[in-house]
Amino acid sequence: MDKLNIIHKTVISIIISTMVISVVVPLLFFLSITFSSDVEMTKFPKALIPTFAVTVKVAPAEDGEYEIFHNRGEGYRSIITTKNPTKLENHFRRQYSVTISGEKLLEDFSKTRVNGSMEFKYRKDIFYNFKQFFAIVNNSIPALKNSVLVALYTILISLSIGSLAGYAMARYTFKFKEVINVTLLIVRMFPVVGISIPMAVLLIKFGLFDTLLGLALLYSVPNIALTAWITSSIFIGINPELEEASFVFGANSFQTFMRITLPLAFPALAASSMYAFLTAWNDTISALILTNQNQTLALVVYKAIGTTSSGIQYAAAGSIILILPALVFTFIVRKYVNQMWGGVEL
Amino acid sequence: MSKAKLENSSQIGLTNSKGLSSIFNKKTIPYLLLLPAFIYYAVFWLAPVFAGVLEVFTDMNGSFTLTENFKLMLKSDLFDKAVMNTALFAAISVILQYFIALLLAVLLSRKFKGSKLLMFVAMIPMAITPTAVAILWKTGLIKDGWVNSVLMFLRIIKEPIVFLNAEGLAAVFLIVLIDTWTVTPSVMIILSAGLQGIQRELKEAAYTFGANKWRIFVDITLPILKPSIITSIILRLIAAIQVWAIAVMVLGFSRVPFLVERIAFYVDAVPGVATSEKLAFTFSFTTTVIVFITTVIYLRATKKKTKQGGNS
Amino acid sequence: MSYLVLKDLQKSYTKGGSLVVNKMNLSINKGEFIVFLGPSGCGKTTTIRMISGLEEVSGGDILIEDKSILNKKPKDRGVSMIFQSYAIWPHMTVFENIAYPLKLQKLPKNEIADRVKAAAEAADITALLDRHPAQMSGGQRQRVAVARAIVVKPKIFLMDEPLSNLDAKLRVTMRTELKNIHNKENATSIFVTHDQSEAMSLADRIIVMNKGVIEQIGTPMEVYHDSETRFVASFIGTPPTNFFEVNIEEINNELFAVSCSFKYKIKSDLKEALKPYLNKAVDMGIRPEFIDIFKEDNQEGEFLCDTNINFVEPQGTHSILIVSIGGQEVKIMTTKYMDIRTGTKLSLHVRDGKAMFFDKGTTHRIR
Repeated sequence: MDKLNIIHKTVISIIISTMVISVVVPLLFFLSITFSSDVEMTKFPKALIPTFAVTVKVAPAEDGEYEIFHNRGEGYRSIITTKNPTKLENHFRRQYSVTISGEKLLEDFSKTRVNGSMEFKYRKDIFYNFKQFFAIVNNSIPALKNSVLVALYTILISLSIGSLAGYAMARYTFKFKEVINVTLLIVRMFPVVGISIPMAVLLIKFGLFDTLLGLALLYSVPNIALTAWITSSIFIGINPELEEASFVFGANSFQTFMRITLPLAFPALAASSMYAFLTAWNDTISALILTNQNQTLALVVYKAIGTTSSGIQYAAAGSIILILPALVFTFIVRKYVNQMWGGVEL
Repeated sequence: MSKAKLENSSQIGLTNSKGLSSIFNKKTIPYLLLLPAFIYYAVFWLAPVFAGVLEVFTDMNGSFTLTENFKLMLKSDLFDKAVMNTALFAAISVILQYFIALLLAVLLSRKFKGSKLLMFVAMIPMAITPTAVAILWKTGLIKDGWVNSVLMFLRIIKEPIVFLNAEGLAAVFLIVLIDTWTVTPSVMIILSAGLQGIQRELKEAAYTFGANKWRIFVDITLPILKPSIITSIILRLIAAIQVWAIAVMVLGFSRVPFLVERIAFYVDAVPGVATSEKLAFTFSFTTTVIVFITTVIYLRATKKKTKQGGNS
Repeated sequence: MSYLVLKDLQKSYTKGGSLVVNKMNLSINKGEFIVFLGPSGCGKTTTIRMISGLEEVSGGDILIEDKSILNKKPKDRGVSMIFQSYAIWPHMTVFENIAYPLKLQKLPKNEIADRVKAAAEAADITALLDRHPAQMSGGQRQRVAVARAIVVKPKIFLMDEPLSNLDAKLRVTMRTELKNIHNKENATSIFVTHDQSEAMSLADRIIVMNKGVIEQIGTPMEVYHDSETRFVASFIGTPPTNFFEVNIEEINNELFAVSCSFKYKIKSDLKEALKPYLNKAVDMGIRPEFIDIFKEDNQEGEFLCDTNINFVEPQGTHSILIVSIGGQEVKIMTTKYMDIRTGTKLSLHVRDGKAMFFDKGTTHRIR
């Protein structure tokens, strides 16, 4: 029995570690790449942890020029021979993500005139890729703002309309309830791409094409139904006596809704807002169809993959900027929803 | 709680507001609450759907045609491949993901040290934007990417593989693997939440009647989990049919054609061409129809099985 | 003086549909502890929900201190309620739960604190005030519900099966406490239950309800010993009353209740009342504890019949004997514990005046 238990435990721990490793390793490599300089990008095999400094070997050359060697893994190789400070500065910036003035470099290198070839170590600007991303993709800052706003609009529209419908579905019996339920299900499952193109035509009519509101209106289509579904299941779970108690003890409908129903439904609203946020934040294809100038961050990053054929590390940095808010939002909401009322049955 | 009680008690407060005008009586209230959603869906869903369908059944000159656009689609480049790939992708990825996720969920159903941390880790891929997932894997799959680095380090391969040159089935499978990495942990979380929700007594009862672990799993656990599995599989299937972003971002347009990839292709890669828009419409329409047919078939099939088995 | 009056109160959930509460008339005095007793679906909960204002009234009137409260919202009726599920709001602490009604009245903060404290003391939950409901037991939640109900100093307490979710032992303790609080607060209470022992121990008066109709209004002793209808006789008492279908026959100027297996001589005080039922079928009811047993035929009491014991259920202080009369199972409760064996032959007698007769049509007691 004990032996079996040990085998069982070992097998389980192997499976768990395999899973964790297969999730974490790609993430680590990815993170490493976002901090990698251009020269590191060409290195193989790739390192799991990015370097924070670069070492170059400098040898004095004729005409006051310097020959710079760099080791990519197969020993030192000559990379560039120059005495032009701008050229040097650019080289160090582009190749090694080292931001340092050319004059300073020349000053450092001048020591080799006396000592012969020397090794120099320079600290990398680890956020270089991020800066580059914003520099190359010139509309990325407005795009970030757009993404936040579109997500916000989507949450507002979905929650206000969806939770009302959810309340109706949970607390009332009425004709066509089944039909409405099925319709909501269909809408929820409906591929958004399916209506993106005609939606563009519609939005042009309303003058909402290429606006953030227009995008939010599209993203809200599946999310209103989803919100209605999530909230109604929570509203059903909330014992009506909790609301009735409020009525008996002196509240009117509005007070009861604001002070009892809404706080109790908060986990559902938080979860719904998370889905609404993710829909808006992650989408690229609808944004591609419905926008022109007012692009969202996801779209901008998507396009950056195409434009920066070399230097995928910049797009990677961009996608980190894209991931972080979604990650933070997801985890905060999740944690909040889980901890909500200490798992008490509502 | 009985349904009757729920219904009775639902009229509270709202019925007492006699001071308010009579439209706020209990019969109209649910409709009033649903009205915003009605209006919204009439304008922003039904109208576009209708307009889309109209586009599909009119030709370039705006006159009615039943098959013209479909013929155009059938003749379009890579149509048959797109259909094949989509079907293959949906089937393989969903089966693979659920198999792995269920296995993991069952193995991890007992609480242990660090299970919370594990859940946390498992949630990360789910929360990552698809665009980012694509870049993550693109950096991995290039010839001097980290996938080759890891494989070489583990001495599984001797020479780097050029993954991004994959063609046909291999390319589809590449996308399946990426999708599996992204989705499986979240499926596992859903399933293990379901597993933990099952009352221990139910399994213990079966155990006292002589069922072994495997029988308990097949006879008790799976049937109880079935409803939640079905819903999540449908949602997964629908998402799988709409795969495109990863394929395009990792491999590029037209490399692994999918149905929705074709839509994006006609919108993004070849805009302005007269037939492009028609093709995009027709592909959207077709995709939607396929999603629906799949859902209905799947629901029917699972319902029938339940009736025959009678065990849920 | 009537404090709360129900006048021809009616309720149906669909227009013209079946009546859940049917022409209910009742008047309750100040300070009374009233219990609505009946099986589930008898309309008792609906009635107090109508009093509280949670349920619309379909017909009739409800008056508190001679004023109709029908047009008042729940909050203006001066009632407070303890719910079956306690309805303790999980997102508020105990203090916030109890203070909520007072906050709605916009009372000053220190007054709220004082009154919450007093209510918490009365319900014995002072130590719990900062806790969340999730961390509390059923009994503690129950106390919070009580404290919240008394904090508003209502004219009438409504309690909807408040003890049904507690375990048996706690139920007994809590019911004593509820009665104590009722007395201390000098309150008027209406308590709904389907548990007769709860009703018996709590009530000043019990309202027995069935199918939306009041079957009997009376003190616990009255409904028990003087059941007005066949339903009351059958619903109250454990084990339940034994019923026999009998024919009233006249033999030698005496009235007899005749069944296929016995001939019971009717006492003179019931003769007049039963005369109209001559040669008709009526229901005869005898409570198990009012059947006396003798080893041999004896002249004491009113002879019913002879029979054998089928089964004995010893209960410690007493025993329950199960015999068969005319193929019908009849339960007998002995006054004290008896060592009797199955198969013993017994002579059954009805204790003086304890046989009840009910009209088959109206189900009312014939007397």
